Amino acid sequence: MSATATAPALVVRGLTKHFGGVYAVEDCSFEAPSGQVTGLIGPNGAGKSTAIDLISGFKLPDRGTVLFKGRALEGLPPHVISRLGLIRTFQAPREWPGLTVLENVVMARWNSGRESFLRGVVGLGRAQRGTAASELVRAREILDEFGLANLRNERAGNLSGGQKRLVEFARIRMAQPELVILDEPMGGVNPVLGERMALAIEAFVATGTSVIVVEHNLPFIERVTQHVIVMALGTVIAEGPFESLRSNQDVIDAYLGEVVQA
Amino acid sequence: MTNYIVSILTEGAIFGIMALGLNVIWGWSGDFDLAYYGYVAVGAYMTIVLTVGPAAAPAQYILGLQLPYPLAVVIAVITAMAVGLVVGLIALRHLRGIYFSIVTLGAVYVMYVFAGQYVPLFDGYNGVFGLFNPMGDWFGLDIYEYPWFLMGLCLLMFALVFLLMWRISGSRFGMALRTLREDERAAAAFGRDIYRLKLKGYVLGAGVGGFAGALFAAYLSAFNTSAWSPVEIIVLYSAVLVGGRGNIWGVALGVLIMGLLVQESTRFLPELPGLGELNTLHPEVLLALRGVVIGLVLVLFLRFRPQGLLPERRFVDKQPVLDTALQTA
Repeated sequence: MSATATAPALVVRGLTKHFGGVYAVEDCSFEAPSGQVTGLIGPNGAGKSTAIDLISGFKLPDRGTVLFKGRALEGLPPHVISRLGLIRTFQAPREWPGLTVLENVVMARWNSGRESFLRGVVGLGRAQRGTAASELVRAREILDEFGLANLRNERAGNLSGGQKRLVEFARIRMAQPELVILDEPMGGVNPVLGERMALAIEAFVATGTSVIVVEHNLPFIERVTQHVIVMALGTVIAEGPFESLRSNQDVIDAYLGEVVQA
Repeated sequence: MTNYIVSILTEGAIFGIMALGLNVIWGWSGDFDLAYYGYVAVGAYMTIVLTVGPAAAPAQYILGLQLPYPLAVVIAVITAMAVGLVVGLIALRHLRGIYFSIVTLGAVYVMYVFAGQYVPLFDGYNGVFGLFNPMGDWFGLDIYEYPWFLMGLCLLMFALVFLLMWRISGSRFGMALRTLREDERAAAAFGRDIYRLKLKGYVLGAGVGGFAGALFAAYLSAFNTSAWSPVEIIVLYSAVLVGGRGNIWGVALGVLIMGLLVQESTRFLPELPGLGELNTLHPEVLLALRGVVIGLVLVLFLRFRPQGLLPERRFVDKQPVLDTALQTA
């Protein structure tokens, strides 16, 4: 395992989840280094998506612990985990379709004080208005960065699949979590857009967001990750830099080999 | 004619407040709540039993206090919110879409049957009555002046509720409710406590419904289960649908259109060829035709313009697009 100077961004120990007789995730343990991009790969049904659901609180694990910033996350509801600074995306883009692109980005930042009912009625004080204005400016900058500025007043539901992926990335930029878990961000995305996403992921790391990315697109994994975790049948079978995994017989049998045969 | 206009405006304002409350739950949170009229009824019943004094046998109902009308309204609104909280705690926990609607339908039916059958509560199907011209004495109004006063009061309250809703509509709270409607898993992933936020919206809506009920009680002087009929409810829901869910201007427009349609259909229907004679022979047929007209409007809108006449507005950022963005375009 590659030694990292800083504390890991995420520690998973013995995570287990059964659905009836199916062992979706079975004694899964890994660490994601801080300040890096960690890839999570494996064949379909390996338990990657379930693992993400367990980490982000969308499903309850049967056993095991998840440590983030020294706090145990298991049992916490999704919104609490999100507020702690761990944000996840979904396999299919989950934009708020009826809201505009700009609203999608602005609302990605949760703000405890200003979202209360009372604040909504009595309105904003001067300082609050300042925050709101600066957030709007920030959202515009981010949209500009992703080439979405001219679509910002469009309802997000009207965008193409690739554009929705970009909106999702823009939302994460806005939220600025300490760790983001991207679930198959390259699904249905063309190569040109893929390069833009690779750059965006690098930008996440540069601005202090560690990244875990689940992906089937192996050239993309090779391009963006420093560390890769391979899952099969609900557990971790190998990890290390992508190059080292090419020659790993277990990984070839479980995953890479299938690609060659296909 | 003047009396007619005064009563129409009073009723319209009360109806408008009801629709604005429903819009919080259905339009913003996105939950098709069928229990809503129950909160209107709770508000109306409570206002009456808190103001008219003890029941005279054989009538019976709870409380029977003689509180000043404004205080009774406040308590009625709080009661409606409490009932809304109980229903919301059950229905909003895990249920969404049609399952939520079915549970709220069950809840409102329980309320309806309870109010109708459990006589010691609100005197069963007889209902409660006797709230004549509340606050009229304070201002020394006679029975001819009072309707004008009530109209003014209801229009003022409608304006205040509209202002409140206008503030909420553009606030982060209102936006957060909409993110739940649009995709609640994404809302949770970005830090929103779905259950709490939905409950807040639901209880707010129930409170506004209860407030409308309290004004309705002053207008009707009485309230019983027949004021709680499916026809009233359908008109309310179709007003929100026709106007435009989520848009408070649309909701107000919908109330205007449906209100006029319901009121005026008994007038214009006899004008249609053949229906005039029918009206003189069987007036009840024409009354039933009114329901058909409402249903027809509802079906046509659902088919051709489900978003309503004035769809929800989006925030349009008018800041000019930055130079770099133009290059990529």
